[in-house]
Amino acid sequence: MSYLTDKEEGTSYLVMGNEAIVRGALEAGVNVASGYPGTPSSEIIDSLAKVASELDLYVEWSVNEKVALEVAAAASFAKLRALCAMKQNGVDVASDFLLHLAGTGTRGGIVLVACDDPGALSSANEGESRYFARMMEIPLLEPGNFQEAKEMTKWAFELSEEIRQIVFVRSVTRISHASGNITYGKLPEKKRRAEFKYDGLILDPDEGVMVSPPVGWKHQRQQEKVKKVREMFEESPFNTYQGPERPDLLLITSSACYLYSREAISILGLEDRVGLLKLGTTWPLPPKLLTKHLLKTDRVMIVEEVLPFLEDHVKILAAEQAFEVGVKTFYGKNDGTLPMSGELNPDLVIAALSTVLGIDYAPVSEDYEQSAKLFASVGAPVRDLVFCAGCPHRASFFSIHNALELDGRKGFVCGDIGCYAMANRPTGYRTLKTLHAMGSGTGVASGFGKMGQFGMDQPILAVCGDSTFYHAVMPALVNAVHNKADITLVVMDNSGTAMTGFQPHPGVARNALGQEVPGVDIAKISEAIGARVEIRDPFNVQETRETLNNLIEDKNGAKVLVLRQACALSPQRRNKKNYDVRVDQTICVGEVCGCGRFCTRIFRCPGIIWNYEKKRAEIDEVICAGCGVCADVCPQGAIIREDVPKR
Amino acid sequence: MDGKGLNRGQEVLRKHVLDAYLCTGCGACVDLCPYNRSYRGKIAVLFPCVIDEGRCFAYCPKIEVDLDELSMRFFGKPYDGNPLGAYQSITAAKAGHRIKDISPQAGGTVSALIYFAMIKGYLDGAVLTDRKGLLPVPRFVTHPGDVLGCATSKFAAAPTLSAVNHAVKEEYGNIGFVGTPCQILATALMRSNPLQGDDFIDPFGLVVGLFCTWAVDFRLFEPFLAERIEIDRIRKIDIPPPPAEILEVFADVGTRLEIPINEVRELVPKGCSYCIDMTSEFSDLSVGVMEGRPDMNTLIIRTDRGRRIVEEAEREGYLTISKLPEENMKHLVWASGNKKRRALVKAQGEGMVNTETDAEKSYLRMSAEVLERLIA
Repeated sequence: MSYLTDKEEGTSYLVMGNEAIVRGALEAGVNVASGYPGTPSSEIIDSLAKVASELDLYVEWSVNEKVALEVAAAASFAKLRALCAMKQNGVDVASDFLLHLAGTGTRGGIVLVACDDPGALSSANEGESRYFARMMEIPLLEPGNFQEAKEMTKWAFELSEEIRQIVFVRSVTRISHASGNITYGKLPEKKRRAEFKYDGLILDPDEGVMVSPPVGWKHQRQQEKVKKVREMFEESPFNTYQGPERPDLLLITSSACYLYSREAISILGLEDRVGLLKLGTTWPLPPKLLTKHLLKTDRVMIVEEVLPFLEDHVKILAAEQAFEVGVKTFYGKNDGTLPMSGELNPDLVIAALSTVLGIDYAPVSEDYEQSAKLFASVGAPVRDLVFCAGCPHRASFFSIHNALELDGRKGFVCGDIGCYAMANRPTGYRTLKTLHAMGSGTGVASGFGKMGQFGMDQPILAVCGDSTFYHAVMPALVNAVHNKADITLVVMDNSGTAMTGFQPHPGVARNALGQEVPGVDIAKISEAIGARVEIRDPFNVQETRETLNNLIEDKNGAKVLVLRQACALSPQRRNKKNYDVRVDQTICVGEVCGCGRFCTRIFRCPGIIWNYEKKRAEIDEVICAGCGVCADVCPQGAIIREDVPKR
Repeated sequence: MDGKGLNRGQEVLRKHVLDAYLCTGCGACVDLCPYNRSYRGKIAVLFPCVIDEGRCFAYCPKIEVDLDELSMRFFGKPYDGNPLGAYQSITAAKAGHRIKDISPQAGGTVSALIYFAMIKGYLDGAVLTDRKGLLPVPRFVTHPGDVLGCATSKFAAAPTLSAVNHAVKEEYGNIGFVGTPCQILATALMRSNPLQGDDFIDPFGLVVGLFCTWAVDFRLFEPFLAERIEIDRIRKIDIPPPPAEILEVFADVGTRLEIPINEVRELVPKGCSYCIDMTSEFSDLSVGVMEGRPDMNTLIIRTDRGRRIVEEAEREGYLTISKLPEENMKHLVWASGNKKRRALVKAQGEGMVNTETDAEKSYLRMSAEVLERLIA
């Protein structure tokens, strides 16, 4: 039994923010959960999958976020409670369906949880998902601590069911991935039965068909729901105020910034000067509540991540209520008091408060700061992002790089989302030259592949991982084949959604619940689409390189090379070496070799180290994953790989 | 070839040879390290190397080639700009009656010489140019019988010298080599112990140079031919001696294609236009097609080693020697002198010829007087 299913009401657990969201959903009696893996959201579906059989839930990793939301919506239409989780840009993927779903309305409580990544700690963007709530006209909730993450999620289901509309809960990395104590509530006993009713009148929200037309009528109903929600938000316990009745400054904040703001106020000792209005219900904003607090002072600072979402809406409200609240001075993103990109932290809030309130505060002395900067720039060794030891991507990009250099026509790789996005750095031999959304590598390549008409002679490669292939590459590959785009797509199939923690995907014959399911074959799909398909083992660098050159020279439209080799950290490879690898110290001649430290300077597997005293290469046995590729890379043949003896 | 303190490695080579389109893809810099590779007629630098002084630079026939030093070393006199280079004698030649089963280009002199040197044990192996489809590829043979399989002209540059580097790594010596003038110039550099190694041994047992006015860029040549005939059907390609002015392509079942030579000249890489050497001046023996006699070769004997093998091969019936007509000799001098002057004018005009006082750059170094005389 998982601690997430403890039935004991009132017990406390130290849990991750994402687990607090899960517990909230369980207390709300969620039946169905779906999502697509993406940091910092993945633990939500992972955790629900773990308790699924115990609580009789259906949980799935869907092929992409749009399908995930469609699966969750079906549950809602059948009067079940459903949760759908994704990272910030997952909402972009799901947004077309979300627009239509919001226009149609829902039945069983349905909650969309988006975990944003301010500062792009684990993303190729720091997109703001909150604007979707405004754009789709659905309620937005933002938890400001761990207990609230649970309570808010639970209440979101109730709200959704009450107004028959999907509710958007937005978390951020520092809520989702930090941990805190939460006190459990009750787990519901009663079960729900699924049934989709459609025999009622067309406009009957409970028994009619689930369609967005007639759009005009439905849109008006939708906006009535927003008005109702606005009224409910006036009294919401998720909006709190701490501070004096007449503060010098009103600080309005939400989400993790609430914690930063509290810390900043405490460090500066401003409890008597600054009023802290924490909003949990951030769209639509409750006007009466805001008016009440805006009346307290004429100076207002808004602290939030990333864009001035709250700031803009508070300003609109202040303008609408100007006659009553008077003229305000606003501090925030638009005036540059706080940065409009990246994560915030207590120091940034301290700096903003110090500026606005004229406080002289330096967290460290200027001397210290100067020295720290100096030593960080000259004293710290360069530690670039690298592929792990034994990572198949390193071998794949080594072959791709060499194939492109041999070809000599300035070919390049259109990148995609996965660990292999690092191939724009030395670890991937700087082969990757474009990087955008999931599936975009192949789409962009498809475009480049048609530029021959305008004189472009550069070979066009695209890469994608196995999970990404199903997520969004398939339509792009169809496009490339159909339009005879001259590209080579390299699918780096490492047997799972590796970067987010080996979640299964449609290619894996096992689903989120651990059940056996049909695996959908990438090579067969590609062949059926009409591409020439080759399958190789990336650890065979010679054969892979030759195949790549051969495919690049084949000018008959789109080609697909599937490079199959499991991730070095995957359950099937972890702690299992293919080879015992060592450097024969009599064959490695070190610096006099003329290879220019090829293994450590160019190939750069962290499993190989350069012994500066002996001036020879060595294998770091602790890190080496035993893939044996370096034995093929050493020009001297000094790296010896031997089959691992049966133990 | 004094250092002048500059980088004499991959970086300069890349800038002054590869990026300047001087490279003819001879292969001298290939298979020495993990960095330089040859692929479909072009040299690729896979990764940046950090070695300041490399064999790649030292062997390259397109950068800082000191003609006086090479001439002194191989012929005991400074470079004088003679159109045919230094030589002992020039004759007409063809394969002798003891060479059977051979259908080489022209007179078969090259194959006969290498074959003979191998059966006599003068050579432990030979580096020749074979082809894979249309692509010329280096081949290292250790059995005399394999020599004859490589005996056709290729017309596209080949990285043949990479096979020498490979054979040396495998500790072969007494290697026979057949190549074009740029490749022969590289062998001269390789034989000069350019990096002053203490344990240096000249790996070549016999160097046979071919006459060459230009070669074609394989990557242009293949699609050029593919537009005219399916590549798989091609059996043999030939450029008959002047005044034919055509390229002949022989395909299956008697199909023969004639392509005007002017069209083919469009495919010549830029590097060839700087080449001052038509007759492979730093070889032991140089061989070319004899004008007006497609069944015969012109043979230039340059060194004692070359002369001894020719004499012996003739004595034993592997080679037939006859006098080269005066008219042919005159034309040979005229043609090679022309090539030399044209190329030198171009190279000098683009600042690529150094005399004693100049700084190091692409690609030749020679005395000011000889240079002046040649381009006058």
